[in-house]
Amino acid sequence: MAENAAIYALRGTALIEGQQDDGTLNKTLLDFIWQRARPGWLFLLAIGLALTGLLFAAITVTLAIGIGMWGNNIPVAWAFGIINFVWWIGIGHAGTLISAILLLFQQKWRTSINRFAEAMTLFAVLQAALFPVLHTGRPWFAIYWLFPYPSTLKIWPQFKSPLMWDVFAVSTYFITSLLFWYLGLLPDLAALRDSSSSRRSRIVYGIFALGWRGSARHWHHYKIAYLLLAGLATPLVLSVHTIVSWDFALSIVPGWHTTIFPPYFVAGAVFSGFAMVLTLIIPARRFMHFKHVVTLRHLDSMAKVMLCTGLIVAYGYIMEHFAAWYSGNVYEQHVFFFTRPRGPMAWAYYLQMFCNVLVPQVFWLRWARRNIAVLWIGSVLVNVGMWFERFNIIVTSLHQDFIPSNWAMYYPTWVDLSLLAGTIGFFGTLFLLFLKFVPAIALSEIKELRHEMAEGALDYQPTEMEGAKP
Amino acid sequence: MKLPIWRSVDELQKPPDPCRELGPEAPEELSRRGILQLLGASAAMATLGGCLKPPDEKILPYTRQPPEITPGNPLHYATCSTLDGRATGLLVTASEGRPTKIEGSPEHPSSRGAIGVLEQAELMRLYDPQRLKVVQYQNQPRSWRDFLGATVANARILRDRGGEGLRFLMEPSSSPLIGHLRQRLIEAYPKARFSSWAAMPLQQIHDGSQLAFGGAYETRIDLSKATVLCSLDADLLSAMPGTVPNMKAWAAKRDPAIGPMARLYAVETNLTVTGMNADHRLRVKPTDVQRFGFALLGRLASQVPLLARYAPLAQKFALSPQNARFADVLAKDLARAGRGALVAVGPRQPPALHAAAHAINSALNSDCAAQAKPVLHDLDSGPRALRQLAEEMRAGRVDTLVITAWNPAYGAPADLNFGKALSQIPHSVYRTLYADETADRAGWVVPALHPLESWGDARAHDGTVTFQQPLISPLYAGAGEAEVLAAFLGEGDRTTYTQLREFWKSTAQDDLTWEKWIADGFIDGTATRPETPLVRHDAIFSEAMKAAPAETIPGFEINIVPDYRVWDGRFANVAWLQELPDPVTKLTWENGALMSPATAAALGVTQGDVVNLGRRGPPATAPAIIAPGHADGCVTVSMGYGRRGAGEGLCRGLGFDTATLRHEQGHWFGPGLTVTPLGRKERIAQTQEHHSMEGRTIAVSTTLRKLKQTQEELAEHRGPPLSYHAPQEYPGHKWGMAIDLSRCTGCNACMVACQAENNVPVVGKERVWRSREMHWLRVDRYFIGELENPGVVFQPLMCVHCEYAPCEYVCPVNATVHSDEGLNEMVYNRCVGTRYCSNNCPYKVRRFNFFSYTSDYTDVEKMAFNPDVTVRSRGVMEKCTYCVQRIERARIRTRVQGREMRDGDVVTACQQACPADAIVFGDLNDPRARVTTSSADERRYDLLHELGTRPRTAYLARVTNPNPELA
Repeated sequence: MAENAAIYALRGTALIEGQQDDGTLNKTLLDFIWQRARPGWLFLLAIGLALTGLLFAAITVTLAIGIGMWGNNIPVAWAFGIINFVWWIGIGHAGTLISAILLLFQQKWRTSINRFAEAMTLFAVLQAALFPVLHTGRPWFAIYWLFPYPSTLKIWPQFKSPLMWDVFAVSTYFITSLLFWYLGLLPDLAALRDSSSSRRSRIVYGIFALGWRGSARHWHHYKIAYLLLAGLATPLVLSVHTIVSWDFALSIVPGWHTTIFPPYFVAGAVFSGFAMVLTLIIPARRFMHFKHVVTLRHLDSMAKVMLCTGLIVAYGYIMEHFAAWYSGNVYEQHVFFFTRPRGPMAWAYYLQMFCNVLVPQVFWLRWARRNIAVLWIGSVLVNVGMWFERFNIIVTSLHQDFIPSNWAMYYPTWVDLSLLAGTIGFFGTLFLLFLKFVPAIALSEIKELRHEMAEGALDYQPTEMEGAKP
Repeated sequence: MKLPIWRSVDELQKPPDPCRELGPEAPEELSRRGILQLLGASAAMATLGGCLKPPDEKILPYTRQPPEITPGNPLHYATCSTLDGRATGLLVTASEGRPTKIEGSPEHPSSRGAIGVLEQAELMRLYDPQRLKVVQYQNQPRSWRDFLGATVANARILRDRGGEGLRFLMEPSSSPLIGHLRQRLIEAYPKARFSSWAAMPLQQIHDGSQLAFGGAYETRIDLSKATVLCSLDADLLSAMPGTVPNMKAWAAKRDPAIGPMARLYAVETNLTVTGMNADHRLRVKPTDVQRFGFALLGRLASQVPLLARYAPLAQKFALSPQNARFADVLAKDLARAGRGALVAVGPRQPPALHAAAHAINSALNSDCAAQAKPVLHDLDSGPRALRQLAEEMRAGRVDTLVITAWNPAYGAPADLNFGKALSQIPHSVYRTLYADETADRAGWVVPALHPLESWGDARAHDGTVTFQQPLISPLYAGAGEAEVLAAFLGEGDRTTYTQLREFWKSTAQDDLTWEKWIADGFIDGTATRPETPLVRHDAIFSEAMKAAPAETIPGFEINIVPDYRVWDGRFANVAWLQELPDPVTKLTWENGALMSPATAAALGVTQGDVVNLGRRGPPATAPAIIAPGHADGCVTVSMGYGRRGAGEGLCRGLGFDTATLRHEQGHWFGPGLTVTPLGRKERIAQTQEHHSMEGRTIAVSTTLRKLKQTQEELAEHRGPPLSYHAPQEYPGHKWGMAIDLSRCTGCNACMVACQAENNVPVVGKERVWRSREMHWLRVDRYFIGELENPGVVFQPLMCVHCEYAPCEYVCPVNATVHSDEGLNEMVYNRCVGTRYCSNNCPYKVRRFNFFSYTSDYTDVEKMAFNPDVTVRSRGVMEKCTYCVQRIERARIRTRVQGREMRDGDVVTACQQACPADAIVFGDLNDPRARVTTSSADERRYDLLHELGTRPRTAYLARVTNPNPELA
């Protein structure tokens, strides 16, 4: 039944284009790794490394001189650090959703993009993980005092604090994502080992392939482990961002203290995650020549997920405003009807609304979902919008809270901007390295899919790449 | 940022001291030793064979512990600080031989246990590493002996000429010892002349009493009997020199539970602290204050028979309908009040207005104003006297000029060109605490001793003889004023102590009396007696009729005021004061051009726009500050900024100098100002940028009439909030605080006290602009009503120690926790600085160490630290602790005495300083404690009660007493 349903879902679509067999897939998908590095790739890597340098300079400055190098103040005690943290964690969500939930729901279109999305998750969570430590006043203590280790002082962390829960949520998430990604990589690493032309790369890939030989027993264990990890990762999609949202929802700050935060944060995370996958995969499929496995059908599906989660996010916005009005709470009302839409940072509010509410509506249209330019610009705007959503939640709420004498403006410093740009650069660098040294498309799964489709032989019609319309 | 101070290349290159990173406990032992070494070193330096002045007073090394000193237990000494010649009694805390806290002397008439802003800041001046450290001649270091040698040689010549060309420009002084020395100097040099100079002179007060009474008098104000009070530009309620007793008396008049409330009318140009406390306030141009006063006198003529002759004044000085109504009502109210009425005139106003006030007060037989002989030696200490001296100097009639006045080259009006005249004097001597603008142009520059390092005497505002005793041996080479004067008598080797003791021998023969005086800090019963001189109404009337009925020169008027933080500039190098927000504008680290919103709109400028202020001389460049409540058509600037002194690194370049705007005629205000916007903007560092309460119940203010209704409305803002949880029991002590907004005048004295007590760092202008100031206690100031002339409410706000504290549950490392006595405690050692607690604090009273603010302190600066309070490191959150160190000290003390803690055993620093007794602290479990009765007051409410945080600090709503006829 499930098999049929899955194949039914494939009807009238093209998940793999052109006449492909294992050999051509091997060739086309591993080609990029065996080629000499191309100038375009090197150019992007140079930019990425430069920004990474900036990131480490900014981190050094922060550690050496103090957190005061950031623009934070009292009342805006959290700003870029936490915005970036939430933003990167959110971006990470698409990976887990694609790999785990779509796997469990047997959505076959996930196959071509899951490796890509998982890598993105991993690197995004890595960026995110920098901030909780960096943003503290004394990172040299924060880095281990937040973990419940048996200290001779018999002081434990405070388990009532949502920040404490964050530590567990994020570290669990990172470990699970890493295992999931690595496990999925094993057959492909073995493929790389086997197609290596040099002894050195054979040894290196051989080590990482953990002796994978592709025996039926291997495949049997692999399948079970993969499914189990998928099952483990699925609740994480919900839990991580729920817990991140509790950092805000459990406080009493007007604009933070709302029960709608968990679902709306999770939807927002998936929303931004898919936007980031699209932002990355659109250029990658072109320059790395895998348009035949990442087809317009994939892009179309991702646009639909974005539209759906975008609508949930929009609903969240509406409910926040409604609850503020309906509660009669003057502080909430001030945030939602004055500070955000009419305060000194109103531009950020309107930018958020434009990017997150208006822009995704274009994906109701089929041509927009299949127009590469519209998709890419839309996805970039959603990423911008989601960053500003966190900016509005964090900075705008804090800068005008209960007692008006506290109110003050927030201005970021060069260090804040360098950290944002730097993490984008570091993320990009890791991603470029990933594209160069690891199969960006889950080769074994694609082959499996091709087999399934060939065996199932249902509606599998090779079409021209541009002629993907049914 | 201060540059690091280093003594050797090794030290400069040495990695930072690990003790600093280890946290606050480690240096405790070290720093004490360091201090002892420093004390020893300064003593050793002082005794170095003859190159410096040898001390005559004994310094005791700690090898033999003095009986009165137990390490760890501070000692308190009575002394005084003197400003503009008048002493304020102080009680100074010394920890292990170094003064660490200045409080008001409980017995002294000018402080009564409370303290103003400037006196507390003397501590920072004492430990200022930028103080002048060595005698200089033409900017070259010299020794005190060299100075004595040169002076004696010069004095010999001068004496032969009978003192021809010898001039003394003195700080205004009431010191009996200085008076005695002056007499002896005049005997030795009959042709020598003394004059004195202060940027804030009392000259017009003396001229006014001369006009009114035919003799010099000063008005003693006693607000404890006031019912209707009219301030004509008199800032009686700011915590400035001489005003502290007023505040205490006034505060008692604003508590509706104590008795009938007084009513205050203020007529002024810029919003002052007094104006903020007024029930009715009229804003007029500075030159119109006098006219209003005369018009008021004219109106009183019909009400008070004794004043009948002044009736023509009402016609001559016609007022606008609005102002006339104000004057009518005020006149009626004053006449009705009779003996309880008081018209007070500010020292900046012309003599005729002072005389007019004397006429009103004496005609109404006011109990609040008494006349007494002035306490100062020189009645004329204003620009008039300085001009005479400057003319003599320019004419070459001055050969030797001895200056002990504060910085006349900076403070003098620009048109006197005093600095230039000074550099032409062949022999000049200047005694100063800093290498300032005057030191630049003087020959001999002698470092002054700080009041906490030297002996002296002075009279308080009421004439009470007050003694100044040193708490620490001089940190640097320096001389007292008496020592510089004695040098001209050939007695340069006689220290101030020797002179003082000898001078007072005639009164106190035995050492016991002397020791009692020194221990008390003053001689009881030496206040000068009030007199009742006859008022010369004819002279006053004819003088008043001479005044022009309207200003003839069109254009803007300038209004120059002493600064609430740096006074005339002498406190400019004190970081505490620079960072203390102005009580009215909340401006820090600079001065600005204050103008009304309407004037700013007419000029097309907004907050921070830079304007040129011109008045005959070269213009001053200032940022515009939009000041609600300011009079239209004029600009107010405060003195004391725009400093250029070589030795004053902290204040150099901050703000702008007002010298070019001041002239001998119209020293304080006058017409003829041009304002030119320059089209650029400056960053303004204000600690409060939003001035409206947005309709929230935050600083509650009501009127006496509506009090009942407000009390009922406040019922929902107090009491235990609904909760599922059983209330937490506090069986032992239950610390709490009550702040009476009706008493608070918004003077800021508590802020400085808190800063001194709790080692609160100063962060600098850029960081104040970024909203990172560290004050644990702030005084919020809100405007109510119309922008042009708003009502004002203040609210001192520090950690309210919530019983259900939102900061506590969000800290991931348990760094902020609750004590069993209900204190919300901050564990600095455990804090990692997530700042989550600050986000979740609805009062935003938590302060974060964004940088290491104290690591660049010099050893001398570190001596100011209170040893009972941890110095916080970088990356740590901090906040008000309810002075937990004082609670613990009281606990130890009472335990040693074998008794329970009683109400009054614990006094927080802010409570101690508050001149208005607005802050009460104590045990809420003690039914007789003041805090318990205050908390049970009908005016009590809890800030943000609806959040259910159950704050331990209760606020009492402010009550004003407006006149229904002016409603």
